[in-house]
Amino acid sequence: MPKRPLYEQVDEVVQAMLVSLQPRPEKAPHRDVAPLAAIARELRDLPREEFRATLKSNLQRRASMSTNEGAESSAVAAAKAVHYMRPGFTSITPYIIVNGAAEFIEFLKNAFAGTERLRVPMPDGKLMHAEVAVGNGMIETGDANEQIPPAATDIHLYVKDADATFDRALEAGATSIYRPTDDHPSGDRWGALKDRFGNNWYIATPKGWTPGPEGLRSVQPYLHLREAHNMIPFMEAAFAAEDVGTHKSPEGRVLHSTMRIGNATLEIDEAHGQYQPKPCHLHVYVPDADAMYAQALKAGAVSIEPPTDKPYGDRSAAVKDPFGNTWYLNTFLGK
Amino acid sequence: MKATGRPGRKTASPKSTPLQKAGANAPAEERLLVEAAQSDPARFDALYELHFERVYGFIAGRVHDRASAEDLTSEVFYKALANLKSYEWRGVPFAAWLLRIAANAVIDRSQRAFREQPMAEDPPDPGVHLDIRAIEYRARLFRLVGQLPETQRRVVHERFVDQRSIRETAQRLGKSEGAIKQLQLRALERLRAQMEGRHA
Repeated sequence: MPKRPLYEQVDEVVQAMLVSLQPRPEKAPHRDVAPLAAIARELRDLPREEFRATLKSNLQRRASMSTNEGAESSAVAAAKAVHYMRPGFTSITPYIIVNGAAEFIEFLKNAFAGTERLRVPMPDGKLMHAEVAVGNGMIETGDANEQIPPAATDIHLYVKDADATFDRALEAGATSIYRPTDDHPSGDRWGALKDRFGNNWYIATPKGWTPGPEGLRSVQPYLHLREAHNMIPFMEAAFAAEDVGTHKSPEGRVLHSTMRIGNATLEIDEAHGQYQPKPCHLHVYVPDADAMYAQALKAGAVSIEPPTDKPYGDRSAAVKDPFGNTWYLNTFLGK
Repeated sequence: MKATGRPGRKTASPKSTPLQKAGANAPAEERLLVEAAQSDPARFDALYELHFERVYGFIAGRVHDRASAEDLTSEVFYKALANLKSYEWRGVPFAAWLLRIAANAVIDRSQRAFREQPMAEDPPDPGVHLDIRAIEYRARLFRLVGQLPETQRRVVHERFVDQRSIRETAQRLGKSEGAIKQLQLRALERLRAQMEGRHA
């Protein structure tokens, strides 16, 4: 059979692609067809020139008349307070800064069946930001740098089967502090382990108790604090948190406390033994970031960044609490 | 609280990176463009010209239909323009900032679609992974199409953007079908050569 010219062979491949069929395999494909097909495949997403030009001129028009954008978007945020949380997030999300964020994500996947939702790398390969869904909660992470050092966080993780998760975490490289037991004071089946990034994980399967109408949140930051009893009134005043349940020793030491903000909780206790304070980063969705920021400063928090509209669709402020934890107070602006 | 809002990220390494190569010639130049646009939004043009292919190419690769890709690309640039003042130069390339907005736009769209038409028990998880090399490859390819000889460029647009048949394209350009196939081949070969750093 006479060999067909290259332009015919290439057009056959292109035509097949354009009607969404797989290119038919050639019996004796010309050595140049495959790389040309690869170029053709990319060109299917080539933008329309008219669209490129129209968007440019629309942006120019917008640029010439946009002076009050900031004020407008704040008003929009207030009007949409009901939808103040980014979809997929709860009210409280730990933001764990590590050396080796990519490896940390692998650990979350392997140990806790985490699902990577977003990864934004830097040009040098380090991660600027990433989001991993774990159970019905979220963990955010990013690589440390000179100005933001690693900040490990202790997490109380609710799972269906504490023993199975515990074993999987060990296989993924975690080390045991103690295996799941029924003797934990919480009444839950509860074990503890630590990962190589310095985070402790308290793996628990609940036995009946639920902290709120929405049920248990899978991911709950657990803060070991010095003078932990001072955190309760601070969180109430600064973040309109609610004390869901606090157990104190006769001397007034916080043995355990659950604090709720919005639809999520975090836990605190008095630092003891190997469970020492780890100033961490917490991402909190609130209905009105501006109001919450002002309230937090009044309660004694220190400003890191006043509220600003972020390009990813949140209005965000940052404050530090008296214990050294960073709180990002965000309102999802929605669309 | 996302990275763009966190104080100081590590400055970019002095070696040129894919984002820098395909963006402004150097971080310093890009920084000047951003600062110019921050003080005068009318100068956002220059940033749009530099980054359009990157943003569109990334989004088109995620959503796979042209109308959605155009909607989301518009959304990203409008957001970027509206929030330009919040971008701070801390060694994070402007392209990374834009792509972050784009990635969130893709995720939000997917979540919205689920809310409006929940067919499954769990919302879809787009699992956006920004593959910088792939994004840069596409952006460069798309820009090179604009530099093709006029007839080749028209053939590429007729075939790949408008998805016209060889016959229609031939009629519109007043050429034979064989000539259109030849032009299509030459355009692809030239693009391939340029992408590989060879002279066409």
